Amino acid sequence: MNQDASGRREADRLKAESGLRTLIRRPEIGSFSGMVVILAFLAIVAGDVVFNPLGIKNNLAIISQLGIIAIGACLLMIAGEFDLSIGSMIGFAGMSMAMMMKWGLPFGLGEATPLTAFLLTLAMTLAIGCIIGNIVVRSGLSSFIVTLAFLFILRGLTEVSFREFNDGSTQISGLPDFKQDDFVAYIFGGEAFKWIFELLYEIGWNVNRRGEQWVGGLDARVAWWIVLGFITYVVLAKTQLGNWIYATGDNKESARANGVPVRQVKIGLFMFTAFCATIFAACQVFDTNTADAAKGNLKELEAIAAAVVGGTVMTGGFGSIVGVVFGAVIFGLVQNSVFYISWIDGSYYRVFLGTVLLIAAFANENIRKRITGGI
Amino acid sequence: MAPEAKPLIAVESIVKKFGPFTALNGVSMNVMPGEVHALLGDNGAGKSTLIKILAGVHQPTSGQIYVEGSPVSFRSPRDAAAAGIGTVYQDLALNQLMSVTRNFFMGREIFSGPAPFGVMKIAEMDKITHDEMVKIGIDISDPTQAVGTMSGGQRQTLAIARAIYFGAKVLILDEPTSALGQKQQMEVLKTIKRVRALGNIAIIFITHNEIHSKLVADRFTFLSLGEVIGSGTKEELAGDDIRRLMAGGAEMKDLEQELATI
Ligand SMILES: Nc1ncnc2c1ncn2[C@@H]1O[C@H](COP(=O)(O)OP(=O)(O)OP(=O)(O)O)[C@@H](O)[C@H]1O
Ligand SMILES: [Mg+2]
Repeated sequence: MNQDASGRREADRLKAESGLRTLIRRPEIGSFSGMVVILAFLAIVAGDVVFNPLGIKNNLAIISQLGIIAIGACLLMIAGEFDLSIGSMIGFAGMSMAMMMKWGLPFGLGEATPLTAFLLTLAMTLAIGCIIGNIVVRSGLSSFIVTLAFLFILRGLTEVSFREFNDGSTQISGLPDFKQDDFVAYIFGGEAFKWIFELLYEIGWNVNRRGEQWVGGLDARVAWWIVLGFITYVVLAKTQLGNWIYATGDNKESARANGVPVRQVKIGLFMFTAFCATIFAACQVFDTNTADAAKGNLKELEAIAAAVVGGTVMTGGFGSIVGVVFGAVIFGLVQNSVFYISWIDGSYYRVFLGTVLLIAAFANENIRKRITGGI
Repeated sequence: MAPEAKPLIAVESIVKKFGPFTALNGVSMNVMPGEVHALLGDNGAGKSTLIKILAGVHQPTSGQIYVEGSPVSFRSPRDAAAAGIGTVYQDLALNQLMSVTRNFFMGREIFSGPAPFGVMKIAEMDKITHDEMVKIGIDISDPTQAVGTMSGGQRQTLAIARAIYFGAKVLILDEPTSALGQKQQMEVLKTIKRVRALGNIAIIFITHNEIHSKLVADRFTFLSLGEVIGSGTKEELAGDDIRRLMAGGAEMKDLEQELATI
C-alpha cells in the first residue's frame, strides 16, 4: 500500500540522522550554546572569582531565584498567556509572611509559625491566581492587560498594608532568625547540598584563608529550583497535562474541540505562577528575615525574558523546561558578572541582556515559522 | 428505507442565533446507521454551524437532538464524543506545532497514574498512531513530526483516523476533500467507503462537490440560508434535483442565463 510505480515508500523519504544531528535540532540548542559561551567568557576573564565555592554559591542563588519564577512564566507562556503580576505577587507574599511572623496570624488565629504563615499566604496567593485566571478565560481579555492591572493592584495593596500595620514604614527587618530552629523556615531560608561542600572541603578546595571550611552549602532555593524544574519537566514532556498545556497554547479552539479542558489548564497555570512567586518570597523572607514592599519589582519581566531566552515561543505552543533552565542560567550569570568584572560599567549588563533577548526572540520565531510553514 | 430502521441521530427543529443573526432556522434531519449522509448547501448556508452543534461546540438556541432515540444536550465536545459523535472539522482541529502522535491523542492520552498527572505511554501511542493511519492509507514515517510540516492529505487522514480510532458511531466530515489534490481526494472517498463498509458507523459528509457526494452518499440534505430546502435518498433524488438543490434551489437554466448576461 502507498507505494509509487518504482516501489518507493513514504518511510524511505525520511533519512536517518546521526545522534549529533538530532541533538542540534533540539529547540534547547540555542540557549545551551549561549550558556556555554557565557560560561567560557567568565572563565577566561574572571575564572578565579566565579569558579570558586563562594562564586558558585552566589551565582546559583541569583540563578535559582530567577529560575523558579521563570518556570512558572514558561509554562504559562506555552499555554498562550502572560503573567505580569509575578513581581507584585512576590512583594505581596513576602509582606504577608513577614507581617504574620511579626504580629501573628490574622482573624485572631493566634501566633504564627513559619508553616502556618506560609500556608495561609499560599492560600491567598493561589486564590488571587485563581481570580486572575478566571477573569482572563471568562472575559476573553488579553492576559497582558488583566495581569498588568493586578501588577498595580497587588503592589498598591502591599504598600498600604505595610503602612497601616507598620507605623508608616514599607519595610520589616530584624525578624528573629527562624531558620535556626524551625524546620519549615530552614527548608526555605537555610542551606542545601551541605554534603557536597563538606566533600569539597575534605578534598581541599573549599578552604578559607584560616584553613576552615569556607562555604557551608548552597541556598535552599537552589534545591527548590531543581525540584520544581524536575517535576515540571516530567509534567510538561511526559504527562497528559503536559500535552494539554501544549495543545492549549498552540490552538485553543482545536484543543477544546478534542476535549482538552483549556480553561482549567489556564486557570491552573495562573495559580502555578502565583505558587512560584510565593516560593520565591518564602525563600527570601526566611533567608534574610526581612521584607520590603518593593521586593520582586520587575521580576515578572525578567522571568518572561528568561523563558524567551530559553526558547519559549511568545505566542504559545512551543517551549521546554530544559530550555528555561538554560535561560535562567544565562540571565543570572550576566546579572551577577558585573560584580566580578570591574572594568565593565555595570549597566552594560542590561544592554547585553536586551540584545540576547532580541536574538532569542528572532530565533524562536524562526523555529515557529519553519514548523508552521511561515504564517 | 426499512420501516424498522431507527435514526442514529435525529435533529429536530434546531434554531441557532448568533446575536441578531439567525444561522439556523428550524433544521431537522435524520442520520441512519451505516449510511453516508451528504449535507450540502452554499457557502454560509449553516452546514458548519449545524455540525458544530452536533459536536457540542455550539449550543442550539432551541430544538432537540436525539442520539439513538434518547434526547441529549451536549455542553462540551467531550459530551458529544462520549455519545459517539466524532468530528473532523474544516480546520481539522489539529495543532500545528505539536507532533502527529500528540495530536492523535490530544485530550484522550493513554497514560498510567492519576489524571491529569499520569505519565503518557509515548511508545504505545506512537505505534497506534502509525498503525491507524496505515489502515486508511497513509504511512507516516515519523510520528514525532510536527503536524505543521505535513501535507494537507496527510493531515486529513490523521484527523479521520483519530475520529475512527476513538470509537465514533457517527463520523462528521466537514469538507474533507477541499484543499486536496485529485489523488488524495480519491483516497479520502475511499476512506469514507471503507468506513461505510464497517456497517454500523454513520457518516455525515459536507462537500461542495456534486460528483463526490453522488459517489459516496446514500442520503442527502440540502441547506440554504439556514433552512432545509430538500432531502431524500439517492434513489428518491434524480441527478438534476441534486444539482438544483446544491445551488440553493435555483434552476440550472436560470443560472446559465444569468452567467450568459455577464
Ligand atoms: N460564531 C459565529 N458568530 C456569528 N456568525 C456566525 C458564527 N459562525 C457562523 N456564523 C454565520 O453563520 C452562517 C453560517 O455559517 P457556516 O459556517 O455554518 O456556513 P457553511 O454552510 O459551513 O459555509 P461554507 O460552505 O462556506 O463552509 C454564516 O453567515 C456565518 O457568517
Ligand atoms: Mg463550513
